[in-house]
Amino acid sequence: MELAFSGWSGILILVMYGLIMLGVGVFTYLRNRHIHQSLDEYYLGGRGLGVMVLFFTFFATQYSGNTVVGYPPSAYRQGYEYLVSVPFFITIIMAYLLFAPRLYRLGKKYKLITPAQWFEKRYKSKAVTILAALLMLYGLGNYLLEQLVAIGQGVSGLTGGTIPYQVGVIFFVIIMVIYGWLGGMRSVAYTDTMQGIALLFGVFMLLIGSIVYFGGLPTSADYMQAYSPEKLGVPDGPAVVNWFSLLVLIGIGAAVYPHAIQRIFSAKSERTLKRSFSRMAWMPFLTAGVVFVIGIIGINAYPGLTESESEQLVGMMASAVASQNVIFYWAMVLLFGGVIAAIVSTADSVLLTFSSIISNDLYGSYINPEAPEKKKLLVGKLVGLVAVGILILVAWFPPGTLYQIFVLKFELLVQVAPGLIIGLYWNRLHSKAVFAGMLAGTIIASSMTLFGLSFFGVANGLWGLLVNVGICVIGSLVMSVSVVEEKEAKQVIGM
Amino acid sequence: MSTEKREPIKNPRIWIILGILLAMITPWYFPKSFGEILVYGIPLWAVIIIISSLLLSAYLSYVMKYHWMLEEDEEEAEQKGAK
Repeated sequence: MELAFSGWSGILILVMYGLIMLGVGVFTYLRNRHIHQSLDEYYLGGRGLGVMVLFFTFFATQYSGNTVVGYPPSAYRQGYEYLVSVPFFITIIMAYLLFAPRLYRLGKKYKLITPAQWFEKRYKSKAVTILAALLMLYGLGNYLLEQLVAIGQGVSGLTGGTIPYQVGVIFFVIIMVIYGWLGGMRSVAYTDTMQGIALLFGVFMLLIGSIVYFGGLPTSADYMQAYSPEKLGVPDGPAVVNWFSLLVLIGIGAAVYPHAIQRIFSAKSERTLKRSFSRMAWMPFLTAGVVFVIGIIGINAYPGLTESESEQLVGMMASAVASQNVIFYWAMVLLFGGVIAAIVSTADSVLLTFSSIISNDLYGSYINPEAPEKKKLLVGKLVGLVAVGILILVAWFPPGTLYQIFVLKFELLVQVAPGLIIGLYWNRLHSKAVFAGMLAGTIIASSMTLFGLSFFGVANGLWGLLVNVGICVIGSLVMSVSVVEEKEAKQVIGM
Repeated sequence: MSTEKREPIKNPRIWIILGILLAMITPWYFPKSFGEILVYGIPLWAVIIIISSLLLSAYLSYVMKYHWMLEEDEEEAEQKGAK
């Protein structure tokens, strides 16, 4: 990305962000030296996150730098049809209502650390737990890969190529690992708060600058009426189907992100969790809504861009705004620093959850259950580090033919939803049906994605999810659950 | 404070209302002309989607506040006991 304001000021702001993140890590370490003996303290911040911190850490899992850089180009190309990006962030909160109240309660009761541990508790089946854990690890790994690539591109864009892609990735990965190791979930959540504030401030400044410089929505609407009325029009049949499938898939998919679920367990109290969710319900208007408007203004500001040119839209608009005066200049530097910080904050949450599943579920439950917590923690941290190393290599030397397997994430993560959610309420849900459903859903969703198949405009992950739910429900009805098993399940759920 | 436990999933009324709101935030019910009428540069159908989305957010906040009470009383009692 070419930015008019890139160069030394970009380097300055990045170094500053990096130092603040490190400072947060050191501060957390000094204040909480005891956390390195306990999975609970390290991965969940001792289950003590308050409203503001919890809110910003949820915010960081849902909104990444990609929301700011990637959404306006989509709005630019699709017009008002892309308004769906506002309500789909609200349906995430709606999906939480389906399971978060009960899951929080059970998390507290059984001291759950990861979502995979709930599978173990509920189904008492090694196969189900390991499959769920692997799906989550795979999805999280690809999610992390995407963030690492974005960090590299962002840094090299913001510094005008002065800092090459690779150096940018290494610099932020080292910082991320250090503060993550020093303070665990606490560090991650505190840095999320700083990163979230920087991002919100920058996005608003870009909006104000764009309106002042390019004109607001009415100007853009005049342009669309004259040259591309379809961008204003009511979505037609297939577009409505696509809209609705996004509402459902993103609502459920993002709500069951493993790192999002882990934050439910981290809440200090039910009241804290409720308040954080309530605030999250309004955030789509301030984030997705604002970046949508920026994209719409772009239609008039830079008409006729090709698809690949339009990907640079935010950079172009920010460069134009930055050249207005010194306040906008620094606001845009802060914004792009904030975009990179937001990507780092999404990456650190993902990495922490990745390590926790290794520590707690794979190593801690099956490989060496007798190990002291300190050792489990160390194994999780080290495996996380190795995974990051491998992902960095993949990012630098992308394999030519198999690249598709690194794209799958949402499609896979969403397949744990039926076992997770239905299992909370239905005592008869059979562990074998859950296993078969999860496996079938995964195979369908990933092969559709790999071979580029699509039916009726409904997202691939959703087809997998439908089959998955079908197998779970019908399988459980057909297979008989013994009275003992049903009783056990009832006892675990305990409500 | 009441000791009554409330869980949103067990209240069918909530899900009926959420279902209606979900239908309202999907643009299937607009006549074509709603794409031509502009309100401050925003097509009318999009204005209705935005208003419906605001209603959904408001309703979700309401449900969280008043219809989700599983642990709160106990947690508050614990906290008082700890002080």
